[in-house]
Amino acid sequence: MIPAMDSGARPAVIDARGLVKVFRTARRATGLLGTIRSLVVPEMVAKTAVDGVSFSAGHGELLALLGPNGAGKSTTIKMLTGIITPTAGEAVVAGVVPYRQRERNARNVGAVFGQRTQLWWDLPARDSFRILRDIYGVSPADHDARLREFDGLLELSSFWDTRVRHLSLGQRVRCDLAAALLHDPPVVFLDEPTIGMDVVVKEQVRILLRHQVEQRGRTVLLTTHDMTEVERLAERVVLINHGRIVMDGTLPEIRARFGSAWRVHATIDMRSVAAGLEPCPPGLVLTDRNGATAVFGPDMANPDGVAGLRGTAALTPHQALKLIIDRYEVTGIRVEESDLDQVMRSAYTEGMTSVPVNGGW
Amino acid sequence: MSGLTAARGWRTARITPLSDLLSPGRITGRAIRLAVQVFLVVFLWRALYANVDIKAGLTEVMAVTYAVLAVLMVDTRAFARFGARDTVIQHMQSGTIVYWFLRPLAPQHYYFWRGVGEQAYGIAWAGAGCVACAVAGVLGPPASAGAAAAFGGTFLVGQSLLYYLALLTDLMCFWAIRNNSVVAILAFTQNLLSGAYAALWYFPEWFRFVSQLLPFQYTIGIPLSFYVGRIPVADFPAQLAAAAGWVAALAILSRVLWYKAVKLLAAQGG
Repeated sequence: MIPAMDSGARPAVIDARGLVKVFRTARRATGLLGTIRSLVVPEMVAKTAVDGVSFSAGHGELLALLGPNGAGKSTTIKMLTGIITPTAGEAVVAGVVPYRQRERNARNVGAVFGQRTQLWWDLPARDSFRILRDIYGVSPADHDARLREFDGLLELSSFWDTRVRHLSLGQRVRCDLAAALLHDPPVVFLDEPTIGMDVVVKEQVRILLRHQVEQRGRTVLLTTHDMTEVERLAERVVLINHGRIVMDGTLPEIRARFGSAWRVHATIDMRSVAAGLEPCPPGLVLTDRNGATAVFGPDMANPDGVAGLRGTAALTPHQALKLIIDRYEVTGIRVEESDLDQVMRSAYTEGMTSVPVNGGW
Repeated sequence: MSGLTAARGWRTARITPLSDLLSPGRITGRAIRLAVQVFLVVFLWRALYANVDIKAGLTEVMAVTYAVLAVLMVDTRAFARFGARDTVIQHMQSGTIVYWFLRPLAPQHYYFWRGVGEQAYGIAWAGAGCVACAVAGVLGPPASAGAAAAFGGTFLVGQSLLYYLALLTDLMCFWAIRNNSVVAILAFTQNLLSGAYAALWYFPEWFRFVSQLLPFQYTIGIPLSFYVGRIPVADFPAQLAAAAGWVAALAILSRVLWYKAVKLLAAQGG
């Protein structure tokens, strides 16, 4: 059998194919009779949380799974960690079907689910590590070596003898990250691991994750709403909304597709354009003008109007700069790009419609 | 591969005792609570025997001994387990139950080691309480050496029953996340029918008949009845067999429910 490949042609460590998850829940009826009827014969309704999600990630890759709340990210992660069984489709993680070989899969994966800790509340964090060491059957030498490594990156020793209930959120999440990695899993799932943490701790976590990916070759699947984290860490982004993949690509590709808010501010020698600025170069529109300063944006109504650029969704700022400089006598120019937060806002709202996936947009 | 050998399981088993040791206030509180409860039951039963004509086949000393032991045995596990924040219902409510399914140790095996540790810890508390009560003169000796042996045997099987009863209650959380009321009702029923509040000999015939059809009396009532000599030692094999039968039945039932709970979690998520 030929192993599945990730989009970068590396053998896939995480391979999700057409994952579907439908939850069946009881609908509550209103009124006294309805309530009694619901108790006796509850009306079940189906809700599709994940609808045909396919993607893959290779060895040593950090993939960000992004989307608004309720998009299906956590459900996808729960299927990939083997906690829940998909209604349809298949997943293979490090060569194991996670929901069929749950205990074998557990040795291959580590996971942190937001602020939900797996540490024992009344025990010092170091005791939790020892319990996990026994559960995973890690040798004391390996355990100590890994703990030293994590201590170096996360400064755990300053608080690991404190009971978990007395740790701050940042300290607890750092301990949870260490707990998830102590058995040396090749695949790590992190569901909003830095939520609620201060910038210093976030940075420590980012350094740890980068180290784990680059030095240890772990495959990391990360969900987050922190776009700085995405910019700093993710090589690839899978955008998911309403249970479907909206896009699978790199950050520049996402910016190009959804970052329509960029603007080019150009100071133009007006003597060179006696007939006026319009018509603009193909793919561009004039959005504002103040004397010699003109502001251009992408022509979203006619994105395919650029010769040689057919098939692209919109101009990139770089392409726009080139077109403007070629067309006008420019004495000053600057690009105002939307930050990733704006890009994602745009992606979440535009991404309602069905879009080809796996970089095929 | 899913089991945890004793050499590695002891650390999981000691989670609750260690949690308590690190919280001295919890230990002090438990000691005070037990002391107050013992004082009150001794006072109550002595007062009852002094003022009321009771015909249950128990002398005052036997009745007080029974009541004191019942107080010490009634929550060998329940008191400590919630403090450690590691019960099924606590994990279901906080969403951390998913971690039980993310380890190379089946949840039922993890639960077993936790149960072993908690009950051993509870028994240690009961043992210490027995010594203190004997010194204080409110706990009589067993009726005979045979009675002591029968008590020991039925007590151990009774602890297995308690483990499965707690497990079944916990497993209900997978279907009813907020089962506090059910747990409260079950705890009261179990204590009443086990003879923890009062020896079953004091209850009417129909009540004793109902309790004989249920497993609860084997957790406290039967062992203590052997201890005070209310049941002859000759009945030990029959009582032990009946208790063991209940253990086997509940073990099978809990196995089925674990299977269904895991399936439910796999279908509905954490």
